[in-house]
Amino acid sequence: MKKLKFILSVFLTMAVFISGCGKNTENVEKTEENKNEIVMAIGTEPEEGFDPCTGWGRYGSPLFQSTLVETDKDMNIINDIAVDYSVSDDRLLWTFDIRDDAYFTDGEKLTAEDVVFTFNTAKSSGSVVDLTVMESVTAVDDDTVQFKLAYPQSAFIYTVAGTGIVPSHLYNESYGENPVGSGPFILKQWDKGQQIILEANENYYGKIPEIKKVTILFMTEDAAFAAAKAGQLDVAVTTAGFAQNEIDGMKIANLQSIDNRGLTLPVVPDKGETTDTGAKIGNNVTSDIAIRRALSYGIDRNMLVENVLNGFGSPAYSECDGMPWGSDEAAVQYDFDKALKILEDSGWIDTDNDGIREKNGLKAEFKLLYNADDSVRQTLSIAVSQEAEKLGIKIVTEGTSWDIIDKEMYSNAVLMGWGAQNPLETYLLYHSDNVAKDYYNPENYTSEITDKYINEAMAEADSDKANELWKKVQWDGETGVSTEGECPWVWLVNVDHLYYVREGLNIGEQKIHPHGHAWPIVSNLREWKWE
Amino acid sequence: MNRRRKTIFLICFTILIIFAVFVGGAIIPETALKADFAVKNTAPSLNHIFGTDWMGRDMFLRTIKGMSTSIMIGMASSIISVIIAVLLGTLAGTLSKYTDNVVCWLIDFVMGIPHIVLLMLISFALGRGFKGVFIGIAITHWTSLARIVRGEVIQIKNEQYIKISRKMGKSSFYIMKNHIIPFVFPQAIVGGILLFPHAILHEASITFLGFGLSPESPAIGIILSESMKYILTGYWWLAFFPGLMLVIIVILFDILGENIKSLIDPYTSQE
Repeated sequence: MKKLKFILSVFLTMAVFISGCGKNTENVEKTEENKNEIVMAIGTEPEEGFDPCTGWGRYGSPLFQSTLVETDKDMNIINDIAVDYSVSDDRLLWTFDIRDDAYFTDGEKLTAEDVVFTFNTAKSSGSVVDLTVMESVTAVDDDTVQFKLAYPQSAFIYTVAGTGIVPSHLYNESYGENPVGSGPFILKQWDKGQQIILEANENYYGKIPEIKKVTILFMTEDAAFAAAKAGQLDVAVTTAGFAQNEIDGMKIANLQSIDNRGLTLPVVPDKGETTDTGAKIGNNVTSDIAIRRALSYGIDRNMLVENVLNGFGSPAYSECDGMPWGSDEAAVQYDFDKALKILEDSGWIDTDNDGIREKNGLKAEFKLLYNADDSVRQTLSIAVSQEAEKLGIKIVTEGTSWDIIDKEMYSNAVLMGWGAQNPLETYLLYHSDNVAKDYYNPENYTSEITDKYINEAMAEADSDKANELWKKVQWDGETGVSTEGECPWVWLVNVDHLYYVREGLNIGEQKIHPHGHAWPIVSNLREWKWE
Repeated sequence: MNRRRKTIFLICFTILIIFAVFVGGAIIPETALKADFAVKNTAPSLNHIFGTDWMGRDMFLRTIKGMSTSIMIGMASSIISVIIAVLLGTLAGTLSKYTDNVVCWLIDFVMGIPHIVLLMLISFALGRGFKGVFIGIAITHWTSLARIVRGEVIQIKNEQYIKISRKMGKSSFYIMKNHIIPFVFPQAIVGGILLFPHAILHEASITFLGFGLSPESPAIGIILSESMKYILTGYWWLAFFPGLMLVIIVILFDILGENIKSLIDPYTSQE
């Protein structure tokens, strides 16, 4: 009897979980007349709230706030509240003229003081917003702001584009919960853990959005799928696993992204060294360039896209495929025989016929960690290990939590993902400044040549010339971080961002989406309309 | 067929099935569980009688392998639980009042913490994975059995033969070894078998909640929690067959325990 009760209670708990997640949608009814409203489920809520000074809007658009400049769908810089900007000859002084018809939704005018306040607050917030390059920011007059950089950095403009302006007279610790800004939308209501309700800002200086009311529900993928199937949602986030199922009245929006997945492979051998926190550094197998390069040639990326992502993705060869600063030279052709030859030429030979190659008594075997909560990462890891097995390399997959990956990522391969609309990411992933910092460079890759190109690219004022230098980081004709170079990463796939979108809803022209499958889709929310 | 024969037949039958699942799971090689993307999400058919999951892994093999792991964890934790329970229960019943208090306090202490929470704590502290689940389940299931054993011991402590033995100068240890443990042992064995389903279900639920084994390993809790994600898309076989297997194995253990009990128990064994 006790056991029966136990089984029952397990099932009941599941039932509560499932219905608990779906509860939000009960009162949301879709009626045909409400043509200026939409209801959507796009993933998780930002835990820190909607404060640009602590990172809100960095991937996408802040919605409630304005930015000085923004990027258009081709990633060109266009003005938002700036009317013009100029950079001094030594590339240290950046001067922005701002428009004088931008008002916060409480009626106060947005002035240069607010911009200064925003950037100073963001710099001292100690959050993910990285403004170390900014030495100072001053208001020259009411509508002119001047930034002084510590050293030239062309990518600074993208940081500016990702930072929403907050009102200095209203900003306090709870601003993230009650964000007043000058953006196209107003946050009307936030029920934590459930939903936010947005309304169009009728006093917006730009084109006033056609969608007047937007409800964003926070639900898991399966709950969103169920709600979409029940006709309660206009937009629902989904993944490759669900996307094969059709929902009446909705179509799949298959949005291209640079949300990439790849393997970080430690490039230094295990010499018994540890980090400050005591984590082991180095791996004797992955530190052999032949292993890394053979994996890059010998894993069929198209197969991964087809099977793991059900075709909703593209092969990845660098962290910035398709970006103006991404290099075509980074791409490699799948070539199994070449991979075998690379291994054999460097002395990895299966001498004891167990299917795993050896070199000097060392087996070609290493551990691949992935975040256990993510089913796509799990499937990718398993598929990669099966591909590697054909090459005679044994990859032991282990799904675990980020806490454990934190400690083991310096000595094991990890399935990671990046992808930003900012070339600074190349600096973060490959420059020697960022070795073992955060999740940026756990493979301990350092190269003077790479550093040199990155430094030059960051110092270059002309963005075309800077892009050429960024490309040389990948491959300069002799070396680089791509497969034929040092290959600290084996990039695998770019994951398309999938959404169910109700027919008749026009979601505008989307940019190539960055990492983070949720908020990027609403970055052009003000252009959406019903047709 | 008389009642006794029938009971023995049932016992043999359940042991056979459980043993078949256990051995069957243990001899399934890793390679048979590989992903095969050509056959993903196929409904049950003759080739894959339980269907396949979204990686094209055969659900029948995965389920059997998972049940095998579960049975192993259940077996080990039952044995450890019986040992702890008999030891502590007998100590509590025979030695001083002070020992009794300590043991009772320990039982209350372990029982006082909600079981699943305790399992999570232990599993998490030991770094998750197989080790965490195994140790967690092994050292948390002995409490109720220990209480029963203690009760039995206290009851027979006042029996004539034990008093005589004591009067004849036998040590507490001798009495424990020769008079008490042989008496409580059959009870403990039955209790141990009845712990089995508990342990299996706990193993399943802790991995279901994500505090157990790594998600690529075939374990019944992982299979079930994964299938919950896909049940909405109509892949019913992912949850149905593994769930059914779990229930069947649990019921088999229950039948086994009840029948062995009726054989051993003096009140029913002569029927």
